[in-house]
Order: sequence, then C-alpha cells, then structure tokens
Amino acid sequence: MSATVAAVGVERPVRRRLGGRRLRNRALLYLALAFYLVVACFPVYYMLMSTLKADYDLIDPTVNPLWFKRPLGLEHFQQLFSQTGFSIWAANTAVVAGCVLGITLAVCIPGGYALARLRVPGGQHMAIGIFLTYLIPPILLFIPLNQLITNVFNLGNTRWALVVAYPTFTIPFCLWLMMGFFKRVPREIEEAALVDGCNRWQAVRHVVLPVSVPGIITAGVFAFTLSMQDFIYALVMVSSSAQQVINIAVPTELIRGDVYFWGELLAAALLPGVIIAFIYNFFLDYFVQGITGGIGR
Amino acid sequence: MAETAEQARAVALRLARARRRRHWGEVAAGYALVSPAILYILVLVAYPFFLALYFSLSNVTVAGGYGGFVGLANYLSIIHNSVFIKALENSLSFTFFAEIGKAVLGIGLAFLLLQTLRGKKIIRGFLLIPFTMPLPLALLGWKWMYDPQFSVINRVFGDMLHIMHHPYPVWLGDPIFSWFAILIVNIWRGFPFAGVIVLAGLTSIPKDILDAAKVDGAGFFRTWHFIIVPLIAPILFIGLIYDVTFTLGDITVVNILTSGGPNNATEILPQLAYQNGIVGGNLASGAADALILFPLLLAGLILFLRMLFRRTTVEE
Repeated sequence: MSATVAAVGVERPVRRRLGGRRLRNRALLYLALAFYLVVACFPVYYMLMSTLKADYDLIDPTVNPLWFKRPLGLEHFQQLFSQTGFSIWAANTAVVAGCVLGITLAVCIPGGYALARLRVPGGQHMAIGIFLTYLIPPILLFIPLNQLITNVFNLGNTRWALVVAYPTFTIPFCLWLMMGFFKRVPREIEEAALVDGCNRWQAVRHVVLPVSVPGIITAGVFAFTLSMQDFIYALVMVSSSAQQVINIAVPTELIRGDVYFWGELLAAALLPGVIIAFIYNFFLDYFVQGITGGIGR
Repeated sequence: MAETAEQARAVALRLARARRRRHWGEVAAGYALVSPAILYILVLVAYPFFLALYFSLSNVTVAGGYGGFVGLANYLSIIHNSVFIKALENSLSFTFFAEIGKAVLGIGLAFLLLQTLRGKKIIRGFLLIPFTMPLPLALLGWKWMYDPQFSVINRVFGDMLHIMHHPYPVWLGDPIFSWFAILIVNIWRGFPFAGVIVLAGLTSIPKDILDAAKVDGAGFFRTWHFIIVPLIAPILFIGLIYDVTFTLGDITVVNILTSGGPNNATEILPQLAYQNGIVGGNLASGAADALILFPLLLAGLILFLRMLFRRTTVEE
C-alpha cells in the first residue's frame, strides 16, 4: 500500500522532468534540422533567387543578396529558350539519356535474369566482376575510351559518342540491380507456369516480367539519371555546340569570353537540375541497395 | 486421396524430367543472355583499361599515332614534375579531409532522419538535393556564390553579419581560400550520401539488440562504439570505398570552379590528366597521371571483395 503511494508520489515529478527533457530534445532536433536544411538547400535557394531577380538587382550593392528590390520575373527562363541553344542541348540530353536507357535495359534484363535464375557456371564470379567495374572511375578510362570511340567507332564529336560511353557505368549498376529484383521473384510462380504447360520463354514473358515491372522501371530511372550526372565524358568527347548535352553546354557555352550571364546561366542549371533531383530522390532507396550490393540485408 | 497423391507424383516427375532436359539448354541460354553485358564490359571497360596501361608505358600522342614502348619513363618523368606532386598531394588531401567532413555531417544527418518528423519524405528530399542534383549544374550555383565581386558568402558574413572584415577573400583567386572552396563543395556534395549510407546501416540493426544494450545500462557512446559501429561496419565500409573512388576520380568540381588554379593551388590528378592528355594531346603522359590513382583504387577493390566473400562464407 505504502509502496504504491510512494510510487505515485515519485512518478509525477519524474514524468514532468521527462516532459521538460522531451521538449528540449525536440527543440534541439528542430535546430539541427534547420541547420541541415540551410546547408543543403542554400545554394539552390540562392540560385533560384538570383535567376528570378532583375539583372540590375544582382549587382546593386544596396540590395540584400538574399532578397530582392525590383520585381521578380521569369525573363531569364524566356531568354534561355529564345536566345540560347538551351532547347537543342535539352533535346540532345533527352536523346542521349533515352538511348542509354534503352541499351541498358536491353542488356540488363536478360543478363540479370540469367545470373539470378539460370544455372550459369561461373555466374557469381561474372556478377561480381561486372559490379567491380563500377568501381573503376571514368577518370581511368576517358583517354583510351575517347580514342576508341573517335578512331574505331568513328563517333567523335557527336552525341552518339556519349550513347556508347555512358552504358559503361549504367550497365554494371543496373545489371546488379535487376539481378536483385529477379532473385526476389518467388521461384514457385515460375515453376507453376512451367507445370501448366508454358515453356521457359512464355513463363518469363507472362509471369516473371510482369511481376518485375517495378524493378525494370527503377533500373530505367537509374540509367537515365546516372547518365545525367556525367561530366568528364561529355567534356572530352563532344565539343561542337550543336551536339552537346546540358551538363557540358551550360557551363561552357553560356559563358562568352569572360562574361558570365548569371541570370540565364543559373536558370539553365536550375531547371534540369531540380527535375533530375526530384526524380532521383524517389528512387534513392534502391540506389543505396544497389551500392551496398544488398550487403546490409 | 490416392488420386491427388498420384497426380502430385506425376507433376513432380514431369518437373524433374523437364529440368533434366533443360539443363544443357539452360546453360547455353544463360550464357547467351549474359553475353551482351559481358561483351560490353570487355570491349568498353576492360579493353580501354588495358589500353590506358599500355598508353602510360608508351610515348603515344594524338598527332603521332601509336608510339613505341618506353617502359616506366612516363612515370619517372611525371614524379619529377612539381605540378604532378602538387596534384597528387591535393588529390589525397581533398579526399581525406572531405571524407572526414562527410562522415561528421553524415552521421548527424542519419540520426536526424531516424527521428519521427512530420513530412519526413519531403524533408529528406530537400536534405538530399546536394547529392541528387547533377553536380555540373549545382557547381554553377557555387561558382556564383564564390564570385570575386558579388560573393554572397562575403556579403552575408561581411556586410550583413560583420563576422568577416575587409579585404574580403577572393574565393577562387587565392591559393588558400580556393583550396577551402573546393573542399567545402566536395563535402556539401557528398554528405547526404554518407548520411543515407549510415541510415541504411542503422535501420538494419535489430531493435532488440539496442533495447538489450539500454537495459544493460549502456549509454549513447558505449552503444555507438561497441554495438552500432561493429554491426554497421560492412555497410559503412562499402559506402566509404564507393565514395573515395568517386571523390578521388572526380574532375567536375575543380574543372568548373578553378581549372586547377590559381597557380596550381587546386590542381588534382584528374584535372592534370585532362590537361596533359586531352588539351595537350600527350596521351601517354595523361594516362600515366590518371593511372597513378590505380594502386589506391585497387586496394579499395580488394578490401571490397574480401568483405563480400567473408559475408557469404559466414552465411553459409
């Protein structure tokens, strides 16, 4: 009896103290969150603000750099499309990324299936070998690869050079990813289809592939977004403006001599940058799984 | 009853027969399906890699076609070059300090993302922008932030907060400040990835292990040191190898912000390889500049493989 009374008596102040501590923890949490948000997003906020500002606001020392004085507007975006080659570069980027996506899927869906499901002697070693090539950075390859693509494939200085080059890093990654997806499709449903009289190809086409659609979409998104993260191959292989992709054209072509047209430049960086960041973010969990090779599971 | 058992046996028989019949066909089909991937890697990764090795041991230039074999002469001549030494130093120091910065910020970020927050998905999206936004494009924002005349960093910390005083740094024009400018961008770009990797590790730890530690009276740092780190070490390690590979091999930050200047203060090996091999047309020397990195990367690859195989043997 006295024990319960004591317990009740003790519990109250303890709970209140905990409440105070919780409040403090919560406050610290939001402080940390604010710090991280500012660190991560400030450059993007500043890009956005600078591109929406009137040109004169950018160089007027009386204007707060984080805010604006003259009205904001979308002129820089308009100029981007009307006075620069931005739409051509955007089209080139879309063509390159689209072709890379096609090649990557055409190679990785059958390859991933075979490595995950068929008895391929030495298959595990092949899979690891392919994944390891992802850890060879482009910087070791760009000189000979450029020679190869220019002299042997005869694609120098065209966007097709990039279509050939980018699968060197999308294939290893996406193959590994597809393999993981196919391994997670239950073997039983495929065998059920075989028992029901399908041959292997029909079982794959009507049972396995439809179940793997989310995996295929994920691999496709990565082929697309990874090919938009490249800089070195585009820098080395494509120099003519009409063939360039956004990543290289915006930093080089929009600067004429020593004059930086910051408004247009930042508009050109922000528009595709934010779109890619947005798509990428949706599929990030799979990216982590692909990198860690499922080791954390 | 007997009928179903018989049916089941018949099905099992058919399956077994089908399997046996499939075996050789399956091997052939398997190789056929993997071969495009293997072929692509062999022709466009493995072959260029050995070509790079050969280039670095020859005196090939863009103008002269394939030159003769010169042994280690290229390597011997570049290690006597002071710009090369500076580039090697910078490559290593940028990577080393950037990894520390990313680890510190990344661990904080991981614990932040572990908390229950309203709208966490959206917040995470914003926090990961540095990593998900294509780097060449984000770098233009940084270049504008480091602008010699209108640098927003100088305006905010100098003109508005009065923490910095005149003369303000010319971020990309000063040997010391440009070094820090590059380092800052490297950390900014990479810390969300570090955070996501640490988070992937943390969420893979069974909750009862943490609860047991708490019951046994372990505080935060004890739990972190003796339980969390050993458990998530494999994931951290793979994230680290991956990140080191890409930081060491990245040309984008330096190429767009400083091109290695001022006066080679931010020169790194990838930029040097590009300057010599592509701009200067000396393929041999460019290949040698880049391949100096290979022993380092190879060490990473071997550690990665050991990790992978240790895990599979433990599982079996």
